[in-house]
Amino acid sequence: MKTVTLYTLSTCPWCHKAKKFFTDRHVPFSDTDFDLADQATQAKILKELDAAGATGFPYAKIGDKVIVGYQPDAYAKALSS
Amino acid sequence: METESRKKALQYFFEKIVAPLGFKFTPDAELKDFLLEQEVVLEKKHGIPYCPCQPLRNERARDMRIVCPCIPYNRPYFDSIKRCWCGLFVHQDVTDPDSLPQLPPGDVHS
Repeated sequence: MKTVTLYTLSTCPWCHKAKKFFTDRHVPFSDTDFDLADQATQAKILKELDAAGATGFPYAKIGDKVIVGYQPDAYAKALSS
Repeated sequence: METESRKKALQYFFEKIVAPLGFKFTPDAELKDFLLEQEVVLEKKHGIPYCPCQPLRNERARDMRIVCPCIPYNRPYFDSIKRCWCGLFVHQDVTDPDSLPQLPPGDVHS
């Protein structure tokens, strides 16, 4: 099974939907709420987002694929590819 | 100030700002209520109702560009998806916000 990592915001409804997508499908994932993280973690996440040219949250890493925004079709495709 | 009354106040002010820009509140009442509540949470925490879906960078110039309603700072991007990042505002002709992407589909990287 591919490793799934999510960067999210606790205030963002799209991030809640992304977590629900993986939870509903019983796909294990690790998740960090950017806004609740410490400064060092925030800096690390921002560096990663900027390097990927990401414009917002949720930020999902599925295997070697990065998907920005809540995109259930892209999540499903990345999980099955 | 109580959360509910502040939500109403933000709604009142925002409506006057976004209408001349060609936007309106999302017709999704549940989403609108949730997002306004998150903005009140952010306002209580930071003193400013920032976008609930964008990261605060502690860089004033960048952070001011995500103060709600941030349409004027991100207009071309929002026009391309007919909504703002969090979805609180949509183009005035939008009746089905669920049909709109959160971000352009091109934001998939490998």
